[in-house]
Amino acid sequence: MVLVSAVRDYINRMLQDISGMKVLILDSHTVSVVSVGNSQSELLQKEVFLVELVDSISKSKESMSHLKAVYFLRPTSENIQHLRRQLASPRFGEYHLFFSNILKDTQIHNLADSDEQEVVQQIQEFYADFVAIDPYHFTLNMPSNHIYMLPAVVDTSNLPHFCDRVVDGIASIFLALKRRPIIRYQRTSDIAKRIAQETAVKAVYQQESGLFDFRRMEVSPLLLVIDRRDDPVAPLLNQWTYQAMVHELIGIQDNKVDLRNIGKLPKDQQEVVLSSEQDAFFKANMYENFGDIGKNIKRLVDEFQQISKSNQSIQTIEDMAKFVDNYPEYRKMHGNVSKHVTLVIEMSKIVEERKLMLVSQTEQELACNGGQVAAFEAVTNLLNNESISDIDRLLLVMLYALRYEKESPVQLMQLFNKLASWSAKYKPGLVQFVLKQAGVDKRTGDLFGNRDLLNIARNMARGLKGVENVYTQHQPLLFQTMESISKERLRDVDYPYVGNHFQQGRPQEVVIFIVGGTTYEESRSVALQNASNSGIRFILGGSVVLNSKRFLKDLEEAQRMARSSMAVV
Amino acid sequence: MATRNRTVVYRRHRDAVKSVRAPLFSSASGSGGPVIEMASLLGSNRSSYAPLSTEDPGPSSRDAFTVGLPPSWVDDSEQVAANIQRARAKMAELVKAHAKALMPSFEDGKEDQHLIEALTQEITDILRRSEKRLQKLSASGSAEDSNVRKNVQRSLATDLQNLSVDLRRKQSTYLKRLQQQKEGPDGVDLEMNLNGNKSRLEDDEFSDVGFNEQQTVKIKKGQQEREREINQVVQSVNELAQIMKDLSVLVIDQGTIVDRIDYNIQTVAVSVDEGLKQLQKAERTQKKGGMVRCATVLVIMCFIMLVLLILKEILF
Repeated sequence: MVLVSAVRDYINRMLQDISGMKVLILDSHTVSVVSVGNSQSELLQKEVFLVELVDSISKSKESMSHLKAVYFLRPTSENIQHLRRQLASPRFGEYHLFFSNILKDTQIHNLADSDEQEVVQQIQEFYADFVAIDPYHFTLNMPSNHIYMLPAVVDTSNLPHFCDRVVDGIASIFLALKRRPIIRYQRTSDIAKRIAQETAVKAVYQQESGLFDFRRMEVSPLLLVIDRRDDPVAPLLNQWTYQAMVHELIGIQDNKVDLRNIGKLPKDQQEVVLSSEQDAFFKANMYENFGDIGKNIKRLVDEFQQISKSNQSIQTIEDMAKFVDNYPEYRKMHGNVSKHVTLVIEMSKIVEERKLMLVSQTEQELACNGGQVAAFEAVTNLLNNESISDIDRLLLVMLYALRYEKESPVQLMQLFNKLASWSAKYKPGLVQFVLKQAGVDKRTGDLFGNRDLLNIARNMARGLKGVENVYTQHQPLLFQTMESISKERLRDVDYPYVGNHFQQGRPQEVVIFIVGGTTYEESRSVALQNASNSGIRFILGGSVVLNSKRFLKDLEEAQRMARSSMAVV
Repeated sequence: MATRNRTVVYRRHRDAVKSVRAPLFSSASGSGGPVIEMASLLGSNRSSYAPLSTEDPGPSSRDAFTVGLPPSWVDDSEQVAANIQRARAKMAELVKAHAKALMPSFEDGKEDQHLIEALTQEITDILRRSEKRLQKLSASGSAEDSNVRKNVQRSLATDLQNLSVDLRRKQSTYLKRLQQQKEGPDGVDLEMNLNGNKSRLEDDEFSDVGFNEQQTVKIKKGQQEREREINQVVQSVNELAQIMKDLSVLVIDQGTIVDRIDYNIQTVAVSVDEGLKQLQKAERTQKKGGMVRCATVLVIMCFIMLVLLILKEILF
């Protein structure tokens, strides 16, 4: 509720005081911010009769002075340029400017210079600079995400942009929540350290500290900045809970699923919306596993068939009247049922094609328990299996390498060779790159539960007890981190504080930012933790939302850039 | 949620810039004092028009920003909105009339019926007229603000549909309660009839039939009245259903992809691109057209023939 309602409140406040017909002008980032929180029909109710992008609206010359323009943009230099041009020759009656983050004074001066006709009525900063995809999960949708993997010496120009954008996003979260946080970061990650320190300097403590001067609660909230590479396993695994599975197999962007490339579908099912705010069935089932979803969908379809059967038998006038009465709801239910049925059918097809049940069993074994010998055999068998796709082979070898990096290098080499022989596209070089980035030496957390005795014992106990569901036995490292925070056992050595502000007691609100991206499996973990009423509210955010395809793409891009820079040097 | 208002800083800077700019103009035009005053006056009241500056059109033409008239379809949309308000007021009256008619009274209740019929008819008329005007809205106007027009249409269509659903629901509850009421007294009569039958069974059979006939006639008359009322309500239900069907085409389904802001922006961009491509293609086919080629060939042939003719004349 928290994040989505914050964004909705901002948008409502923007629009409520302005009367008359309005046009809302957004840029390519704020369009995502607004679309996940508000729908077109809600905007129509507020008399917003046109929504445009700031770069396309400058192309038209027609004057629409009966409309009032409401701009909601990020304060970037391109947007300021667009605005300056549009203010110089205004098309609309009034201009109300809202920016999603802190404006620099020079930017305000530039705008004032261009506003000769004095059409601007107000300029405000409304800090909605993040995309609130779920109540406790946000993302920043950053385009060049792979930059975080490169050391600073390689790419000097893009890294500051990346860090600035992340810092802006995090600052706007705390401004939207009206809190000033204590900041901790993962010691072993340079970029996490840099982002944590820049957030402290730029936003929280020094430059704009007046803005963050909120009423002090007894316990400040905690901001924890960690690196994706501390848990590289989570994005590589196949998922079997509804939301995570859809993202892994098909892909969700801003709560929209694009099915156009998947198969021949009727026009109204080619792009669908999966939002827990608007779809009650999805909200109840987004964290359930595939088997339970099948059952629930069957029940939904049965209910729907009952209703449509009673609609078929229209005999009296009363029946007809009742039908007309209930028609809008009937239509909505029909659309919803078709959407979920289509999704499950398409996913089942993919599972069947790629033999994912077989692959995923081995993946879970690699991630959770099992001995090295058995794992090696299983992976070899799957590599030899012809019906496994190339990408799944690569993922298996990667997982094996991450797990058994140090134990038996010979067998690892064998796997590399086998992988190379199967497909030239996915060279083993990528696996070695992953090991370099996220190998056991680079990680802080105890990813496989084999570092300290307590964890080993816990794993053995779990192995003996048996698991409820083989396919969902993996728990992301984030779960352990959250537990440590709850029990105040997060070690200062591993996660130091920024500056001299230390945490007194247990925090009541924690924002965890993963540089490099989050996964839906982790957001599920957070949601379940929040539902267990432990007294702490966790919020998760990242630079993007990852699935295995996206993570591999980031790795490839980073590898390519690292190679080209080495060639230059 | 925190926000920060930067308008004060902005205005201060804007005024500072303007006072820097105005002296430049005054020195350029050479009229000195009065122009500076006029410029600053224009600066402070943006909404007032150009007529303040009768002399020196130079700087004032930059500041004068005439507020244009909105296009004609805005008037139509405002009228539809006003109609919707009126319909809402009449519905409130209708609810009161329904409640009054359902109360038990000693009068015949005919005037109540008339009032209800008249009100229902009025509301249905308003809704139908508004719907027709809404449909017309899409036909007129320029292409540029077609999106604005479409969205205005959608929003008003949603309101109209909600109103008609509301009206229908109120009518059906009224009808149901009416039926219950009418059946109430009849039910009691029938019961008495049965008792009367039993007690008279031993007695004369003829008188039973006669009694039954009287009751039957009364029941029939009540039934006819009820049928008439039901028919009227059914008719209005049908009309409203028709309106709803037409309107449902315009209304957005909530929760689907069509209700997403980013999807709508995309489709606009796509259709504009498509339109451009089609235009370009049409231009190309026209240029390449067989007609043009034919005409050129014929003209050339004409020239050749003319030349040959002249040559023929000269040589012979």
